Amino acid sequence: MDFGFSEIQEELRGLARKILDDAVSPASLGAYDEYRAPRFDRALWQTLLTAGLPAVAIAEEYGGMGLDFMELGLFIEELGRSVAPVPALAHCVSGLLPLQKFAAAGLRERVLPAAARGELLLTGDFWSGLSSADPTRVQARWQGDTLVLEGQCAMVPFAREADWMLLPVRVGGDTAVVLLDPRAPGVTLADLQMTHFEPHCQVTLAGVVVPSADMVMTRGGEALLRWTRERCAAALCAQQLGAADHALRMAAGYTSERRQFGVPIATFQAVGHRMADCYIDVECLRLCTWQALSLLSDEQAATTEVQIAKIWAGDVGHRVSYACQHVHGGTGIDRDYPLWRYCLWLRYNEMALGSSGAQVAALGRRLSAGEGLFN
Amino acid sequence: MKIQFTPAQLALRDELRAYFRELMTAELRAECERDMGEGGGPLWRAALAKMGRDGWIGLGWPREYGGRGLSPLEQFVFVEEVMRAGYPFPFLTTESVGPTLAEHGNAWIREEIVPKILRGELLVSIGYSEPGAGTDLAALRTSAVRDGEDWVINGQKMWTSLAHFCDYTWLAVRTDPDAPKKHKGISMFLVPNSDPGWSCTPVHTLGGVRTNATFYDNIRVSDDHRVGELNGGWKLITSQLNRERLSLINFGPISELFNQVVHWAREAPGEDGQPVAAQSWVQANLARSRALIECMKLIVYKQSWAMTAGTLGMADASAAKVFGSEGFIEVYRLLGEIVAEAGLLRAHSPAAQEQAGRIERLYRTASIITFGGGANEIQRDIISAAGLWMPRASR
Repeated sequence: MDFGFSEIQEELRGLARKILDDAVSPASLGAYDEYRAPRFDRALWQTLLTAGLPAVAIAEEYGGMGLDFMELGLFIEELGRSVAPVPALAHCVSGLLPLQKFAAAGLRERVLPAAARGELLLTGDFWSGLSSADPTRVQARWQGDTLVLEGQCAMVPFAREADWMLLPVRVGGDTAVVLLDPRAPGVTLADLQMTHFEPHCQVTLAGVVVPSADMVMTRGGEALLRWTRERCAAALCAQQLGAADHALRMAAGYTSERRQFGVPIATFQAVGHRMADCYIDVECLRLCTWQALSLLSDEQAATTEVQIAKIWAGDVGHRVSYACQHVHGGTGIDRDYPLWRYCLWLRYNEMALGSSGAQVAALGRRLSAGEGLFN
Repeated sequence: MKIQFTPAQLALRDELRAYFRELMTAELRAECERDMGEGGGPLWRAALAKMGRDGWIGLGWPREYGGRGLSPLEQFVFVEEVMRAGYPFPFLTTESVGPTLAEHGNAWIREEIVPKILRGELLVSIGYSEPGAGTDLAALRTSAVRDGEDWVINGQKMWTSLAHFCDYTWLAVRTDPDAPKKHKGISMFLVPNSDPGWSCTPVHTLGGVRTNATFYDNIRVSDDHRVGELNGGWKLITSQLNRERLSLINFGPISELFNQVVHWAREAPGEDGQPVAAQSWVQANLARSRALIECMKLIVYKQSWAMTAGTLGMADASAAKVFGSEGFIEVYRLLGEIVAEAGLLRAHSPAAQEQAGRIERLYRTASIITFGGGANEIQRDIISAAGLWMPRASR
C-alpha cells in the first residue's frame, strides 16, 4: 500500500504541468469558446507528443514510454487541472490502449507506432451510455470477408479530426470491434454542440463496408468493450480530479483575497467550512480514483472500484462546481474570470459514461447479486 | 503509487482474522455486549492480556518503544481486525495515548507504564474537557501546583470515558496560571486512578454507554508523573488528538456490518415476497453505503501510510475525522432504512434481529464522534487553514 509517487511519476507530473502551464491560458482557451473553432490545440498536442506523454502507457517497441495506466491517469489528471484542448482521452484511452491490448500483431504494427507519434489520431465509441456494461448499438453483417455496418453512435469525441475510430459492433449475438475510417463512404458526421465545447460527433453509419484488414476482433469483442469502458470511466475520474482540485484552489485563493466588511471573506466560518467540505470531497475523489488507476494498471478486477470512483466523480464534481461558483459570487460566472470553463468540464466529467445515479444503480444491482462486498 | 495490500499484508490480515475468530468466544461476546461494547469485564481483560502476550498490541510500534517494528499500516490492519471481530479494543490507550507516552515519557514512564500497555495490563483514560472547557480546551482550570518535589492536583474533568475501569488518567492541567497565552500554561500528567483523592461519577448517555465526571482532590504525585516539557502540554494534546482522530475512524466493524446487511437483504423476503435486496431503493442505499465506506477505508490507509512516511498533515487527520464521523451516521441511516422497523427494536428483546439490533444501538451512539475528539466545526477550521491556506478569524 503506497500512496506516494515514484520518481518517474513525479517527473511526469512535473513535465505535464510545465507544458500545460506554459501553453494553456484563459486567452488560448478563449479561441474555442462558443464553438468558434474546434477545441483542439494542435501545437500543444504536438508538444505533448514530443514529450512522449500521450504514449506513456504504450510499449517501447511501439515508440511509447512503456509505463502503465497509472502514469497515463496522472497525466490526464494534469489535463483536467488545465482543461487543456487536446484529444488525449479519445486518442490514448479509447484508441491506443485497447489496440495495444487486443489487436493482432500485424494491426498493432500498422497503427500503434504512427499513432504513438501522433501521425494518426485515434478515437473510439466508448464514451456514451450509462455504464461500463452498456451494449453497442451499431449492427453489422458479414458480406464475404467484410463487415457492413448500420446504425448510429451517439457521441464520439474528435470523430471529425480522427484518422481512425475504434468501434464495437453487434454481429448476430456476438460483438466485433473494427477500426472505422470516419471518412469512409456511408459515414455521416453531425457536429454536436457539447456543453464543454469539446468536438464531438453523432456518427451515422449506412452500409459502411469495413475490410477484414481493419478488424480488431471478429468475435468476443465484449471483452474489449468492457475493458476499455472501465478505463474510460477511470480516465474521466482522473480528469475530474484535476479539474475539481483546481477549481477548489481557485476558490480558496479568491476568498482569501476578496474583502467584505473589512476582512477576507475566507475568515467567515460559513465560507471556510464550505471550502473544507470541498477539500474532503476532492480528497475522497483523489483516493478512489488513484485506487481505480492502480488496480487497472495491474490488470486487477476493478469493476466495483471504478463504479465507486465514478460515483464520487459525479457527486464531487457537482458539489465542488457549485460551491466554488457560489463563493466567487458574480466573479465565478463572469467569462473574463477562468472559473466558468471548469464548471462546464466538471459537468461533462460528471455525466459522461454514467452519472452518479446510474452508477449507484449499477453498483447496487451487483451488490444485490452478492458481488462487490468487502473482503 | 500502489493502492493495494502487499501479499505480506494480506497474509497478516488473514492470520489476524483467524486469531480473532478463536479469541472471540461466545462468553466473551456476551460479556462485551453486556458492557455496551465498551469492555472492562474479566474476560475482556484476559483477552487483552493474551493479545499483549502474543505480541499484537505494539505490532506497528518502533522496536525502541518495545514494539515489533512494523509500520503504522500494519498496526492499523491489526486494529481494524480486532474491531471487526467485535472486540471493544481500548484504542485510546494503545493507539493514541500510548504512543505519545512512549515518545515523550521520562524513564519511569517508558520502563514502568509503556511495557504494561503493550502487555495489555494497563489502561489510560483521557482527562481533557471540563465543565467550562470543551471546544475551547485551553480554557481548562484543573491545576497542578508545585509543592517541594511533588505536584498537587485539584480540579474536575468531564466526559472521562472508560475512567471507571482504567488505571491512570492522562490529565491536562494548568501549571502556569499567568501564561500570556492560555494554551502556553498547560502541562500533561499521568495520574493514578487508584489515588484516594481521585473519584468519578457516572454520566449515562443516549447510546447507553457510560462516561464519567472525574474529580481530583489534592492528588499528590511526584515529578515522574509529568510528561513532556513543563507548560509544553499543548503540543502533546494536539499530537495525541491527531492520533485519536485517526483511530476513531475504523472501518473494520462498519464493513463487516455492511456485508451482513447485504447477506440478510439477499435472503429476507420483502413485502412483495421478493428478497429485500431486489428493490431498487435498497440497492441504491447499499451502493451509497458501499461507496462511503470505501472512502473511509482509503482515507485511513492513506493516513497510516503518511504516518510511516512522516508526512501526516493536520488537515488530513481532520478531514478523516469529519468525513468518517459524518459518514458513519449516514451509513447507519442508509442501512437502517433497509432493515426498516426491525431497526427500532433493542437487541436481544422480543422479535429483535441481530444486525437490526446493532443498527438500533449504533444509530444512538454515532453522534458522539462528530463532537468527540474535537468538534467537527474546529476540524473544518483546521482544514480550511492548514489544507487550503485560508486565513482564519482570530478568536
